[in-house]
Amino acid sequence: MDNVAGFTDTELMICAAARLLEDRKTVFVGWGIPQVVALLAEKLYAPNLVQVFEFGAIGPQSLTPFVRGTMGGPSNIYRSLQWTNMNWAFSYAATGYLDYGMIGALQVDAYGNVNSTLLGGTYDRPGRRFPGSGGGNEVASLCWKTIVVLKHEPRRFVQRLDFMTSPGYLTGPRARERAGLPRGTGPYRVVTSQAVFGFDEETKHMLLLGALRGIAKDQVIRGMSFQPMVAEKVEIVEPPTQEELRVLREEIDPARMIIGRPA
Amino acid sequence: MQVHKSREPVEKLVTEDEAVSRCVADGDYVAYDFSSLTRGPQALVREIIRQHKRNLWICAEFTLHDSSLLVGAGCVDRIDVGFLGYGNYIGRAVVEGRVQVFEWTNGALAFRMLAGARGIPFMPMRNLLGTDTFLQSGAKVVEDPFGGDAVCLVPALNPDVFLVHVHQADVYGNARIFGTNLFALEGAMASKKVIVSAEEIIEPLEFRKEPAKTTIPYFLVSAVVHLPFGAYPGGVPGRYELDVEHIQHLNEIETEDHMRGYLDSCVYSVGNHAEFLGRRVGWKRLTDMVCRASIKEGYG
Repeated sequence: MDNVAGFTDTELMICAAARLLEDRKTVFVGWGIPQVVALLAEKLYAPNLVQVFEFGAIGPQSLTPFVRGTMGGPSNIYRSLQWTNMNWAFSYAATGYLDYGMIGALQVDAYGNVNSTLLGGTYDRPGRRFPGSGGGNEVASLCWKTIVVLKHEPRRFVQRLDFMTSPGYLTGPRARERAGLPRGTGPYRVVTSQAVFGFDEETKHMLLLGALRGIAKDQVIRGMSFQPMVAEKVEIVEPPTQEELRVLREEIDPARMIIGRPA
Repeated sequence: MQVHKSREPVEKLVTEDEAVSRCVADGDYVAYDFSSLTRGPQALVREIIRQHKRNLWICAEFTLHDSSLLVGAGCVDRIDVGFLGYGNYIGRAVVEGRVQVFEWTNGALAFRMLAGARGIPFMPMRNLLGTDTFLQSGAKVVEDPFGGDAVCLVPALNPDVFLVHVHQADVYGNARIFGTNLFALEGAMASKKVIVSAEEIIEPLEFRKEPAKTTIPYFLVSAVVHLPFGAYPGGVPGRYELDVEHIQHLNEIETEDHMRGYLDSCVYSVGNHAEFLGRRVGWKRLTDMVCRASIKEGYG
């Protein structure tokens, strides 16, 4: 790939996540970064990607530039296959029609469980309160392969979540099935500003699959508060290409509300 | 069971003042369709604040600044959370215990409304399970009596009041929404009282000519209010885009003083929605919002 220096952490996360989405598949798209990931994937890698939004837009060809706050607005639901409502959107996930789900996170643990509700304190008196699940719990519970996107920081990769909003593999092998979640679903990849993780088949523990070109795997692991398993061969995650950055910066987010500005 | 709603095709067109004073009582459970940014019933929310309703319990699904305003005005003390968005003011209210929250998800709340609309006491679903969200919600887990797996049950939601802002309505309460929704029909069916606010009032015959476009039939509805720009500062798909500047201003509310200043300026000091638009928003801004709504496809 034709690589360039000078990109933001968010741009890298978006590009690495977009490369994971397959053409002619369905993806349940969360708010913010996942929206931009889906747009980039649609423009460069997966023109027939069917995006599904919780407010009832099924398969839109959303207009760009992306404007934050347009979730459900006309540019975000443009040329959909179907306009329906929230009960049907989640029913598509519950009946197994959605291949991928994509959500953000405040914190993630070694089993891919996600916190997006609070930090510190207790539930009744949290240190800091955030919006809560939204549809994140549904996405993580019901989609076949959930992709979690978050920044690579020790305070985000934690031994123990402050609150488990959305399920990963819960406490380990078979825990999802025992809890009543659909068999064969679960977290698939965790994409950060330095690395891409999967999950070990047997232990369901987070597994380092790839590190950003120029970043050693030890450095990746130092940026976490738990030890991930490490794949036998850690692949190289390529930085954003010229073309990815051009599409992101010129077509999708020229105001740079999501992607930010390189330092 | 919603047997007490009148089936009489009577004219229900009233002012927002009358609709809210007649339909919303202190202590009520209030739910509404869609978000602060898209087709939310914002003019009705401001009227609830103007009338100083107290001890409301709201269903916060896709909510942003509207829940902050309702809490800031002292109208709401309990919230079922699906998505309780936009920052510091509402976050601090939760941290300080000024408002009690119950943890659900957007999907769980939508399923609860569906159960309410179907006249059944609960809905089984296969999520929430295994999480802290489940533990802090009122959901239960039981063994599926047919299959044996664990299954999550969420209780039906039957709000006292449902608010919905629509593209078109007639004077009886028949209503059309174009685009997507969260649970517009379910909410109207499940709720004891329903206030429809509409961008446009059209002839009843129009509904008979194109019945497939009817989102909500009249006998679910308690009151109809004609409120052009009723979703302001949010947008209505196909009609007007949101007012980014006003929303930005709302997002920056952090302190009690700031909240008080906003409420004084935009709610308490104006008598109704029309006066708010005329004196606080202005023709120029509204025209601009209409001009920016260039996407019309699908909204006719």
